[in-house]
Amino acid sequence: MSPYPDHAVVDRLPGSAPPSRPDDAAAMLVGAVKRYGSGGASVVALDDVTIAFPAGRFTAVMGPSGSGKSTMMHCAAGLDRLSSGRAFVGGTDLSTLDDRELTLLRRERIGFVFQAFNLVATLTAEENICLPLTLSGRRPDRAVLEQVVSMLGLGDRLHHRPAELSGGQQQRVAVARALVARPQVVFADEPTGNLDTRSGHEILGYLRSAVDLHHQSIVMVTHDPNAAAWADHVVFVVDGRVHDVMDRPSADAVLDVVKGLGR
Amino acid sequence: MNGMARSAARSVLTSPSRLVLTGTAITLSVAFLVATLVLTDSMRGRAARDIAEAFAGTDAVVQGVELGEPGGGPGDPVRSVQQALDTGITERVAAVDGVLGAAAQWVGFAKLVVDGSSVGAGTASDVGRTWVSDPGLSPFRLASGRAPSEVGEIVVDRSLATAADVAPGDVVQVLTATGMHDATITGVATFASADAAPLQRTVLLPDAAAAPWLDTVAPTEVLVDVAEGADRAEVLGRVAALSDGDVVDGAAYVRTAQGAATSPLEFLNVFLLAFAVVAVVIGVTIIFNTFGLIVARRRRESGLLRAIGAERRQVVGGVVVEAALVGTLATLVGLVCGVAGVGALRWVVGLTGISLLTGPTIVTPASIGIAATVGIGATILAAWIPARRAGATPPIEALRESAAEPRRVPPARTASGFVLAVLAIAGGAVAVVGSTPAWLVLVIGIVPAIVLCGPAIVTATARWSSPLARRAAGVGGVIAAGNLGTSPRRSASTGLALTLGTAIVTLFAIFASSLASGVGTDVRDGLQADMVVTSATPDVSTIDPTLADRIEALPDVGAVAAVTKAEGVVAGAAEAIGGIDPAALPTMFDLDPIAGDLADLTGGGVAVVGDDPARLGDVVSIEFERSTLEAPVVAVVARSTGGFEAPVHFVDRATLDAAAGSQLDALVLVDLADGAGRDAEDDVRALVRDVPGSFLETRAEHVANSGSSVAAFGNFIDGMLILASLIALLGVANTTALAINERRGEIGLLRAVGTTRPELRRIVRLETGLLSFVAAVIGVAVAAGFGWALIDVTGGSEIPSVIMPWSRIALTLVVAVAAGVAAAAWPAFRVSRVPVLELVSRDR
Repeated sequence: MSPYPDHAVVDRLPGSAPPSRPDDAAAMLVGAVKRYGSGGASVVALDDVTIAFPAGRFTAVMGPSGSGKSTMMHCAAGLDRLSSGRAFVGGTDLSTLDDRELTLLRRERIGFVFQAFNLVATLTAEENICLPLTLSGRRPDRAVLEQVVSMLGLGDRLHHRPAELSGGQQQRVAVARALVARPQVVFADEPTGNLDTRSGHEILGYLRSAVDLHHQSIVMVTHDPNAAAWADHVVFVVDGRVHDVMDRPSADAVLDVVKGLGR
Repeated sequence: MNGMARSAARSVLTSPSRLVLTGTAITLSVAFLVATLVLTDSMRGRAARDIAEAFAGTDAVVQGVELGEPGGGPGDPVRSVQQALDTGITERVAAVDGVLGAAAQWVGFAKLVVDGSSVGAGTASDVGRTWVSDPGLSPFRLASGRAPSEVGEIVVDRSLATAADVAPGDVVQVLTATGMHDATITGVATFASADAAPLQRTVLLPDAAAAPWLDTVAPTEVLVDVAEGADRAEVLGRVAALSDGDVVDGAAYVRTAQGAATSPLEFLNVFLLAFAVVAVVIGVTIIFNTFGLIVARRRRESGLLRAIGAERRQVVGGVVVEAALVGTLATLVGLVCGVAGVGALRWVVGLTGISLLTGPTIVTPASIGIAATVGIGATILAAWIPARRAGATPPIEALRESAAEPRRVPPARTASGFVLAVLAIAGGAVAVVGSTPAWLVLVIGIVPAIVLCGPAIVTATARWSSPLARRAAGVGGVIAAGNLGTSPRRSASTGLALTLGTAIVTLFAIFASSLASGVGTDVRDGLQADMVVTSATPDVSTIDPTLADRIEALPDVGAVAAVTKAEGVVAGAAEAIGGIDPAALPTMFDLDPIAGDLADLTGGGVAVVGDDPARLGDVVSIEFERSTLEAPVVAVVARSTGGFEAPVHFVDRATLDAAAGSQLDALVLVDLADGAGRDAEDDVRALVRDVPGSFLETRAEHVANSGSSVAAFGNFIDGMLILASLIALLGVANTTALAINERRGEIGLLRAVGTTRPELRRIVRLETGLLSFVAAVIGVAVAAGFGWALIDVTGGSEIPSVIMPWSRIALTLVVAVAAGVAAAAWPAFRVSRVPVLELVSRDR
């Protein structure tokens, strides 16, 4: 059982007030419950979670399989709907949006990096990077595009298709796509899960520098303590509840907590 | 193997929508096939039974010697032309020892006219026949009233009586070769137990009316009843020795009559079978695509099966069993639908003006067997290649993420397709230039060429359409165009169904328009008369011969020329011989003589349609029923009088009457006097309106209508277009929906990064629209080229030039693309139902 009540968790988040002002957080869940199935067979994946992901920071979400960490991210990012409670992106209450409004919010205010199936096979790297912008009929800011592309070292790969890129390059294109629109928050779901150690480190480095240089808000779901160590804070999730929060984590400290969770 | 079968069955049942889409193609094919077979059997069976029953008491028939067979074309005479019998033949046959009875039959043209308008339209012919009083020999039986006994009394068949709403005692008129006659109905008869003889409307007359009404002195045939106990062969031998006619055994006579009665149906059968073949071909393509996709999707599963020790044979067997299950289910439904749909088909065919017989539906085991074999066989055959591919899956596939179909198209495949295409086009060109039909064989190579080049065409389309699509539809357009090229082989085979469909439709459309124009060309070029009186039934003479003189007697009518036709035999083939007035005709219809002088026809000469002036002076021999005409060619003319059964030989009208007996007029050409006003035209119109069997057309109308007997073709083409679109639509819907299943990950991603549902649906519609357009354009282009070459080389005199039906071709394109886009509705619905979480929830 969690040694901390949920409000204490929120209080411990650096630079954040209690969640009365959703605008202050990049994304926020209030009293979030997610139930799958109904009746006796129902499973509670999120059990009354209240948490704010602070703006301009890199937050990692950790937890064992089935802990509800992915569900938490899906609901916070508007990919899935809560059974009860509310989810905010910036000041917008996601539960008030219909499917179309939610879709438009995702393409205009959220960036995504997934573990796999990150790119559209028929589009070039550049087209993939600009996809959320072109979908909403906007032109990419050339300066931002060049900056992101040069940061990620993709300059000579822009006209290649995904099939012509290595796994690491594909993931860098996905990161570029998530960053180029300067979204309110980037959600990354196991972004290094399919990569070798070196490529994984590169990706995490890019995410880190986006936070440090451009105050990008990032929420990353991972099960790898080494990846989590790149974040500003780590949120530990167990059995659909927030179990612990760690600031300025190190890989060893994270590993210790994870070992404790396993007991 | 048992386990594999169970798994196959489960896999069929777990995706009902796929089963329905895949199975529907086969169901449609089987339904069409079985309906065609059942319809044929039913019509043929009914006609055959009626004829056999009607002539059950007839042991033999004495007929005139056959002079020439009919050509079998749509406008050619149905019966063969026979020499006339001796006038006293009946009495002499009756006197032969062992003959119990002999009854003469005079057969000719007779059309029932009630209240000034003729009864009956469509393909059935109007027949006048004498009443046979011997009940053992008569094919007709009285249903009510009494037999006709004197000239002016008639009996009509029951379907005529029903159609005209007449009963014994009513006063009507009958139009025959000798003109219009007043008549009283004394009875209503049935043909054996049927309402009418197959495809005939019969008016029954007393023997005494044969000469004055049918204008035949000698009987057409004599029905013979051989006494019980007599040696049949011996009696018939004695009958044969009597005359120079043929003695036909009763059974053989019935067989010939059955064949003649059903021969108009052969034409129909060709069309119905064409429908069935189209359905089966497209169905096979769909099955092939579907199973190809199913197998590709199950690559990991197949790999796993192989890894844990399933043999190739077992993996192949699993797929084949699944195909067999789908095929069997679909075939069973198709059989039921087909048999039930015969009624619907009768109705549809009825719309084209061909009335089918009513009667019981005859379902033979052979029909069921053939349709079932085709349905199940086609399914298994089509699934065989995908099944082999499944069996060849390496076990390592089980461990791989995913492996899509190779993007690259083997260059050798495209190259061989290209070579075939070049050969086909070259063959067509040589055939057209040299008028050598043999080279056309090469043209067939275009079909495999399209199949081979398809993936390359799709890849090229994807590449070239991408910038256009971007301009038209933004990034969605690029994705749509790109999706086409993702699996070029699948896209190509999806489009193939549509290509085949549009090609067949276009081919028929070109044939129809060229034929219609060919039939109309002579009229367009030659007709100069102000007005034309035409027969009520196209290509049958039904105009009262006195009408021409009555029109000429009207004030303000300048000139009148009647054209008659009689059946004759030239060089062994039955054809229509024209009888014209060589003095009056040339000013109203320019036959365009290129040698000789039409005026010489009055001396007993013959004019022949042709382009070789050297035929002048040749002697032509024309055999008619009652005499043979040997005459020199005195004129060679460039064109005939038009119509389906346009005569190739013309003689003077008086010559024709003398040789073949009096005829009704086929056409009456009318020129008004110079300066005549509308009143004159109205007078002619009023006169013609009162004469049944005749219609008045202005020159423009006649030119426009002269190809209209081909118009029924149009209905068939429309039906085919709808059917081909419908089946191709199923194919496109099915393959696209399955392809979407394969792309769920990518679609989930698009949804996650902010593509709305309408945008996704638009991408799918764009993709299918693009594919449909390319497929239809190829189909139309190939059919246009092939059809042009085919008709140009083999068209002959009936189709002198190829006429492209541009509006119909455009319509075909539009309908095909519309069908493709409509087909996208289902996959578009599916795509918008793919959950956003699809990609993230994978493998978790």
